[in-house]
Amino acid sequence: MSIEQKLQTAEQLLAPWNKETIRPEENRLDVVIQPEALHEAVSVLHEAKWGYLSAITGMDMGVEAGQLEALYHFCNGPAITSLRVRMPRNEAVVSSIADIIPPATFFEREIKEMFGIEVNGLAVTDHLFLPEDWPIGVYPQRADFTNEQAKAMEESHVDQMPEPGRVGENTFVVPIGPQHPALKEPGHFSFTVDGEIVTAAKMRLGYAHRGIEKAAESRSWVENLYLFERVCGICSHTHAMAFSTGVEQLAKVEVPMRAQAIRELVAGLERVHSHLLWLGVAAHEAGFDTLFMYSWRDRETVMDLLEQITGNRVNYSANLLGGVKCDIGEEQSKAIKEGLSYLETRIRHYLEVVTTDAMFLNRTRGIGTITAPEAERFGLLGPTARASGVMRDVRVEAPYGAYIRYPVSLVTETNGDLEARCVVRLKELLVSCFAMRSILDNMPDGPLTARMPRKIPAGETVARIEAPRGELFYFIKSNGGEIPARVHVRTPSLCNWVSVLEKAVGRQLADVPMLIAGMDPCFSCNDRVVTVVDSATQENWSWKRLREYGIEYYSR
Amino acid sequence: MNNKPSLWKQTMNKVRTWARMNSIGAIHFNSGSCNGCDIEILATLTPRYDVERFGIKLHGSPRHADVLLVTGPVTRQARERLIRTYEQMPEPKFVISVGACSISGGVFDGCYNVGGSVDEVIPVDVFVPGCPPRPEAIIDGIIQLLGELQGGVPRPVAKPKIVEEVSS
Ligand code: SF4
Repeated sequence: MSIEQKLQTAEQLLAPWNKETIRPEENRLDVVIQPEALHEAVSVLHEAKWGYLSAITGMDMGVEAGQLEALYHFCNGPAITSLRVRMPRNEAVVSSIADIIPPATFFEREIKEMFGIEVNGLAVTDHLFLPEDWPIGVYPQRADFTNEQAKAMEESHVDQMPEPGRVGENTFVVPIGPQHPALKEPGHFSFTVDGEIVTAAKMRLGYAHRGIEKAAESRSWVENLYLFERVCGICSHTHAMAFSTGVEQLAKVEVPMRAQAIRELVAGLERVHSHLLWLGVAAHEAGFDTLFMYSWRDRETVMDLLEQITGNRVNYSANLLGGVKCDIGEEQSKAIKEGLSYLETRIRHYLEVVTTDAMFLNRTRGIGTITAPEAERFGLLGPTARASGVMRDVRVEAPYGAYIRYPVSLVTETNGDLEARCVVRLKELLVSCFAMRSILDNMPDGPLTARMPRKIPAGETVARIEAPRGELFYFIKSNGGEIPARVHVRTPSLCNWVSVLEKAVGRQLADVPMLIAGMDPCFSCNDRVVTVVDSATQENWSWKRLREYGIEYYSR
Repeated sequence: MNNKPSLWKQTMNKVRTWARMNSIGAIHFNSGSCNGCDIEILATLTPRYDVERFGIKLHGSPRHADVLLVTGPVTRQARERLIRTYEQMPEPKFVISVGACSISGGVFDGCYNVGGSVDEVIPVDVFVPGCPPRPEAIIDGIIQLLGELQGGVPRPVAKPKIVEEVSS
């Protein structure tokens, strides 16, 4: 089906509630609906299997306009339908759609605490990123909140997670983090265990929440490129790429082919570095430090290449608005090819290790299995979804930039367990290496940058990029000035967390580190809280229910 | 009166310094960084940089650590935890602030959920600039600290600025 047909189908489906139709871009359809109609409209789209809910963006139209807006973005291949719900500022209420699409809870909690949009029927109402003692009625993303106001606020002194200890006859709460030996990032988990078995899992993030989206609204387009690169140091290039792609779409600037090819090349190298890093961390969690050391040793090859191309090992700033800053010459091309040959041999070796090493398999095979329907329901993204056989990869579904000319093939596995996740990631690297070679062999000529205006024309755009961990979603709005009006970032880790905590319940505590590492979590980019919600009934599990579940599992 | 420590004390100090110099236990705390600094810290442990050859080992618990490596600007929510982690470390303790963010807030300076630099919260001994600093720079930071230690002068006990607020 072509994009046009898909959008027409969506328009027909939404016709009963449609108040106004806007076509901001060729591949996008915006449908304005009443807040009351939201639930029904979403369920129709969901039932017709029109794409998946990718993000919910909140927007404040300003104090004078007196309106808030929530945008529900559904993606279906390259086609995007956004439901726009407009509400008065002082009385912003929507109903929750988490009963239809469970992962929407996080998006809803985000618009609730950031914009003060009340969400009826939301099961969990704790803060998502903000400290628990954040003043009531202060919404940081609203237009009238300033960073100065935050400076004047009192320091936060709340540490809301439970202390370790006995809570029932055989049940204990084991708190882990935010400083903990396993992951290098701050997340706080609290696992309730009955003997060895986890009966409840809870997570508190927000330790790395900095407020980047708000800061973006007071910095120029160019400054923001470097700010967004630092959303995450591991997939920094993808963030910068998503931001610049969005801004280029708004400015209607065509990026030269050579620049696009270099972008894809750096993205490919970044994927190799990220997946090898992940393999090391996962091996470390499994108690297999030899593999950790080897994979990190090999990762240094990529780091050298990245440094050679861009001048930095991490946060390489290869992107400029309108192109890239570094060229690839003969010498570099040769070095990259040599590096790739070495890496390919090593990756094949690791592929053999993760599928044959008995010790490692004990920790991965059949553990944390997520079936394809479950993966769809949790809204998983990236390799985690592909390991369960869900075809989800923006590079294939909606190719952008150089991926049109140098395509990559989709890698999926069917088992959905930790082993499958290892295999998918490693196979994906081989595919990436292949694509990088074909870029190097057929490097297009031409300039590295196109001219960008200082002021970006007014408009809204969506940029979707496949990061190493899954689809990265950027929504960018310009008012025609030198600074953006709104930038919304939805990172892939957020969509993947739910699965981990749901899968932890009922397993041994010792499996938990592997489960967490298995999805390749990233805190700095998402930072939210998760509580286990019974997906069948949409209720928070009561203490009793959790306990019964644990005992039931134990006696099985 | 002669203020010089007795021979016994001098010898013991020497032994202590020697032992400390050769078995530094480090611990890493991320107070809201972008991960860039963290992966470079982790890289120092791996074969290419191999910080263990200096006897430096990353520990899991603050109770086993001499050196605290802090990355990232201090976010509202991490502040309390940072102080807590620092307090749990035994004396003498040293702090290395790694990365532009932890020194000044870096690119995140001015964000609403960012409190500021690490040295506004706990006393810092060595600053390692860079965004992120290379693993070599981080190792250099640790070595500088060791150099200071080698002087053998027992340091005055460091006192966090806000210690009273957290004691309860
Ligand atoms: S200094 Fe740079 S690399 Fe380090 S945490 Fe800050 S932004 Fe990330």
